[in-house]
Amino acid sequence: MDSFLELFDIYLVEAMINGILLGGVLALLALGLNLIFGVIDVTWICYAELVMIGMYGMYYLVQYYGLSYYLAAPLAIVLVAILGALLHFLVIEPLLSGPPINQLLATGGVLFVLQSFATVAFGIDFRNLGIRLPVLAFGEMHFSYSRLLAFAAAAIGMIVVYFFMKRTYIGTAIRAIAQDRQIMALMGVDTRRIYLITSALGGALAGLAACLLVLQYDVHPFVGLSFGPITFLICVLGGLGNFVGGFAAAFLFAQIISLGGLFSDLEWGYVLAFAFFILMMFIRPAGLLAKRQ
Amino acid sequence: MSKGRIARLLCGVAAVTAALGMAASAWAQEKKLKIGVVYDLTGPLAGGGSELQYTGAKIVLDKFVKTGVEGYKIEVIYADAQSKPDVAINEAVRLIEQEKVDMLLGFYSSAQCVPVAARVEQLKKFMWITTCISSAVLENRNLKYVFRAQPSGQQFGLMTMDFISQNAKSKLGKEAKDLRVAIVHEDGAYGVDVAKGNEAGAKKAGFNIVLKEGYAATAPDLSALVTKLKRARPDVVFHTGYNPDITLLLRQAREQGLKFQTLVGHGAGYGVYEKLKEGLGKDVNYFFNADPISIWLTNQGALDAKLPPEIKYIGDEFDKVKPGVAIRSAHVGMAASNTYLFLTDVLPRAIKKYGGIDAEALRKAALDTDIPEGGTMLGFGVKFEGEGKPMAGQNDRAFPVVIQYVDDKSYVVWPKSQAQREAVLPLPAGTTYSNK
Repeated sequence: MDSFLELFDIYLVEAMINGILLGGVLALLALGLNLIFGVIDVTWICYAELVMIGMYGMYYLVQYYGLSYYLAAPLAIVLVAILGALLHFLVIEPLLSGPPINQLLATGGVLFVLQSFATVAFGIDFRNLGIRLPVLAFGEMHFSYSRLLAFAAAAIGMIVVYFFMKRTYIGTAIRAIAQDRQIMALMGVDTRRIYLITSALGGALAGLAACLLVLQYDVHPFVGLSFGPITFLICVLGGLGNFVGGFAAAFLFAQIISLGGLFSDLEWGYVLAFAFFILMMFIRPAGLLAKRQ
Repeated sequence: MSKGRIARLLCGVAAVTAALGMAASAWAQEKKLKIGVVYDLTGPLAGGGSELQYTGAKIVLDKFVKTGVEGYKIEVIYADAQSKPDVAINEAVRLIEQEKVDMLLGFYSSAQCVPVAARVEQLKKFMWITTCISSAVLENRNLKYVFRAQPSGQQFGLMTMDFISQNAKSKLGKEAKDLRVAIVHEDGAYGVDVAKGNEAGAKKAGFNIVLKEGYAATAPDLSALVTKLKRARPDVVFHTGYNPDITLLLRQAREQGLKFQTLVGHGAGYGVYEKLKEGLGKDVNYFFNADPISIWLTNQGALDAKLPPEIKYIGDEFDKVKPGVAIRSAHVGMAASNTYLFLTDVLPRAIKKYGGIDAEALRKAALDTDIPEGGTMLGFGVKFEGEGKPMAGQNDRAFPVVIQYVDDKSYVVWPKSQAQREAVLPLPAGTTYSNK
């Protein structure tokens, strides 16, 4: 009993808060994908690779061209936004009327193209931005500023995207196009433009994630492999297109990883998180916060 | 016979002789050894050390491609395992079945070596491993055609524990039973094997193991592991990983305020100082790493006299490929030395004594290898365990050393016979992870 109670110490609190901060990272990643995958129902399997390109953009702007982090960040966001728009224009648009599996296969191809491009263009070395942010300490507990920043960006990003979707004309058009792709054109909406804007917006959110991830992780051509699958799971767990649901799912997922890893082997944290996902797909297939049918 | 007929006959004989001579010469030129070389040139393992290994092997192979060995031309076909075991198997099979290579050489990752060794054995081809260290590659498998000159992962783990046990009282001020050690490792064949050696060594030394845990090298977050380490309060952390998991763990350790007396790494990512420095900055100062000795740190006076010029040549060639590197990674020398060993010892014997380059001749030649300490660039000798032994194919005489990074230089600090300086132990007060 004593040994069980010993588990409830300051380190448990630290693990819980670290879980919340990891949730911030995952929520930030899921934000852009939710817009693309969840709302306009387009599959970007290469989403994490766009984040990787954004991270390289940050690295070169800061390390090679000597720009300050704050100047480089908006440029990297614009870069990935343009990439997102290009991805739609060149790959997705010709496939919009085809079966969804075609988008999956085509963007899967883009995934390999981007990985190979990064390998050829930037090499196989791990690159580090070299910025060491201070650490926030409360007694025995220590927290990373870079994760706090990611958490804040995810929270603000979620609120901004939520209100953008609910309160603006373009946001309404995006939601409408998700409901019926064909009828929107008959209503006089330029569907091509809306898709392009949404893709650029999704790309920009991937760019935002890249700006914050590059503070915590080394960038290399295969960094997307660590995040891609988890990001998709979170979008589905939260309910496709449901930003609040995606946010909640990210925190729940991260908390299971963090606490599961603390109470058992680290690997079990991931096993439990994925088992939870499978279970929820049976119980709430439309997502955590979806209304019961 | 008229003079004209005699002249025609002589011309004919000369022509036939010339033709036969040319044919013989062409046949002689056809004598060649095709080597399939497999390393990871893309994917996470490439930057984690595999590409450096490839560079080391290639420098040596290029030299022998120009000269040949005992009348045999050397032809090399390189393949990229892409940091994936399935690709490594496919490439190995492709090289053997389609490219018709006579043997395979290389392999960085133990996760690749374990399945590839079994497949190559099935195909009855010769496999010369330059790098991957997991005992699981050879242990109790009685492989006939697979040989590894490298020390095994368990030897790495045992060596570092021995190093700390010899310094526990004098430098860390603790009796063995009071010394708290944590063993953390990536959960592939390599990490598991080194950790096994660590655990056996810790038990032998009588250390208190406060945490032993594996993690996936691709895990996006290791903060829970750091929290557990903080809770366990280890004096010494024994870590085995590739990269970038090493930098992720240590960056999160810094951010979460993990403190210890010292940290000991075990090859792979810890062998690539440039990347450690880039990811961790000055925090890498005073870390230890176990690896076969860097060929540029060996005591050249104790080596076979023919080796120092070769070591210089490899260093010069490496500097041409990668100029401006602060510490030439031990990875380069490992692959270079083990490739050189094959080309100068095993292969000539196979040709001269066993009459060829087929797997059987190469196997017999490898089993005959008997090189005393100082006979390789890595300092150790070579004698392979024979068939029926638990580690058949393993070099019995191989051993790693413990080095320490101090102010952008690496020094051998253990074993004492090879030591270049006293180890700095524990971490000096004021350094990021120091618990002083």
